[in-house]
Parts: sequence; structure tokens; C-alpha cells
Amino acid sequence: MIGLGYTLPAMMSVVVVCVLELTVLRTGLFREPAYWISMGIVFIFQILVDGWLTKLSAPIVIYNEEHTSGLRFPWDIPVEDFLFGWALVTAVLLLWVKQRPDMESGRG
Amino acid sequence: MDRWQYLLILGGCVLITLPLEVFGQGVYRQPIRLLRALTPVLVGFLVWDAIAIALDVWHYNPRYVSGINMPFMPLEELLFFIVIPLCGLLTYSAVSNILGIVRAQRHKSAQLSPR
Repeated sequence: MIGLGYTLPAMMSVVVVCVLELTVLRTGLFREPAYWISMGIVFIFQILVDGWLTKLSAPIVIYNEEHTSGLRFPWDIPVEDFLFGWALVTAVLLLWVKQRPDMESGRG
Repeated sequence: MDRWQYLLILGGCVLITLPLEVFGQGVYRQPIRLLRALTPVLVGFLVWDAIAIALDVWHYNPRYVSGINMPFMPLEELLFFIVIPLCGLLTYSAVSNILGIVRAQRHKSAQLSPR
């Protein structure tokens, strides 16, 4: 229940992605409705897939509870997974949008 | 059959998002852009994952993985970091294009309607 192994890096990953966007990438992705709608859809599917991967009755991924906050919601999903997933998907979207033709011509 | 569970879930994710490729210029049809977006993030998360596995922050139930191992992690875990971002990109590409179509139609109908 210390959380240093997963909770802390998961929170850090979100901070790193935000700092990268605000200081280096500056794509403006966070101002796009399409981004937030997409993340809402991703979130729903994450609950389904991650719920299956982490269900305590027959887990595919097994977490060392010493390294997590112990909070699992919904079902048995460690809440840290949502930070991890957000950082993973958002980071790739940022680099994808960064390469959009209107970004590369210098506007971004 | 159990040991294919993780692979089957990832395969399902690929299949379910595949039709989204029809929107706009798609994702798979822009392989260079895809590689450039995916690779740096993939490297970062693989390093994180390898460290987490090495420190026993999490591990995989041998019952539900294929047993095919990559350095530091099961094959499935490597594929996870490719499949999930792909699903995110296809979703974003589809949503962006749909919103673009909606906006264009609104614009058109606004122009056509008498003031």
C-alpha cells in the first residue's frame, strides 16, 4: 500500500505528458472536442478490457498490492490503470497530431 | 484455450477498431506518421513496463498468456503497447472526421438558408 511502484509513476506519467504538451509540443489537442469525445470512448472500452484483465476471480495481470493504492474501481481495476492508459493514449495522439500538415507548416 | 485469453482480447481490440480505418485518411494508411507517433511512446512505456516487471510491481498469470516471451515481458504485453494506442488513434481519427463532416454540413445549411 505504499504506492511507490505504481501509483507514483502513474501520476508522474500524466504530469510528464501534460508538461510535454504545454512546453514542447503545443499541439492544442486539449482544446479539441474530438480529443475529449475520443477519450470518453476509449475510457468506456478501457473499463471493459481492463476489467477483464484485472478481475480478481481470474486475473490476467496480477498486481503487487504493496505498490498500488489498493483502490480498485470499477470492478477490480486498479485506479492507477486509468492514469497509465490516459498517458499512453494521449502521448501517441499528441505525436500524431503534431505531424498533421497544418501543424508542420509552422502554425502549431 | 485459456492461455490465449490475453492474445484474443488484443485481437478483439484490433478487429473492433478496424472499420474505423474508412474515415478520412485513416491510420494504417499513414504508416510513417503512425511509426513516428508510436515509437517514442512505445519505447518509454516498454522501459517502464520492464522495470515494473523486474521489481515485481505486476506480473502475468501464466495460465492466461501464450508462453511466448519477449525480452523482459510476455509477447502479449509488447503487443498491448501497440494495439491500445492504435485503437486510440483510430477512434480519434474517426471522431475528428465525423465532427468535420457535421461542421461542414452545418456550414452549408447555414449558407443556403435565407436570412
